[in-house]
Amino acid sequence: MAEFEPKIAAFLCNWCAYAGADLAGVSRLQYPPNMRTVRVMCSGRIDPLFIIKAFKEGCDGALVAG
Amino acid sequence: MAWVSSAEAQRFVEVVNATVNSIQNQGKFDCQANALQLEAAEMTVSGETIRWMVGKEVEITTKGDVYGRQWDQHSFETVLDQVLEREYQKNLIYQAIQEGCAAPRDISQKVGLNLRQISYLLADMEKTNMVEFKGMEACKPVFAAL
Repeated sequence: MAEFEPKIAAFLCNWCAYAGADLAGVSRLQYPPNMRTVRVMCSGRIDPLFIIKAFKEGCDGALVAG
Repeated sequence: MAWVSSAEAQRFVEVVNATVNSIQNQGKFDCQANALQLEAAEMTVSGETIRWMVGKEVEITTKGDVYGRQWDQHSFETVLDQVLEREYQKNLIYQAIQEGCAAPRDISQKVGLNLRQISYLLADMEKTNMVEFKGMEACKPVFAAL
């Protein structure tokens, strides 16, 4: 059986982590494609409800990066 | 939760790798099996208690509470955790009653809390009109969610 590929909701801050992810792409650094990115204007925008909602919709994990 | 600056592409890759590895080790999350817990957690974080507590945090940790006691961040967060845990357990019981577990023993089996704790929380939930005592059925107390 193929290795378990988790679905992870990633909430990325527009000004830091999202730009970091962008730079990782531009620099051709490789990382696994399991993240489903949601760009937010600030990581302070994340309500714990978003994370519960992510799990309810079938995500296996959640990452908040700011 | 991780902090990654816009210049730290390498750090972002590390964080993503660590997250994916950790979740691969933990295995698939079964949202059907945890529906009750998720519902209770959602009730807890969208309830007003957490908003009151978090809204008061800065005032209490910088100026002290109404009795003039000083609270540091750590002790405030300990109290916040305790309050939320209790709130979560109450919501879990509420969800179990809605699913049709009316007697404390059935609730206990459904949510995995011990009977004593459930009775204690049910008494509290009665006071705040979350549940109602319906009477005895075959020597078992029966509750209904409001």
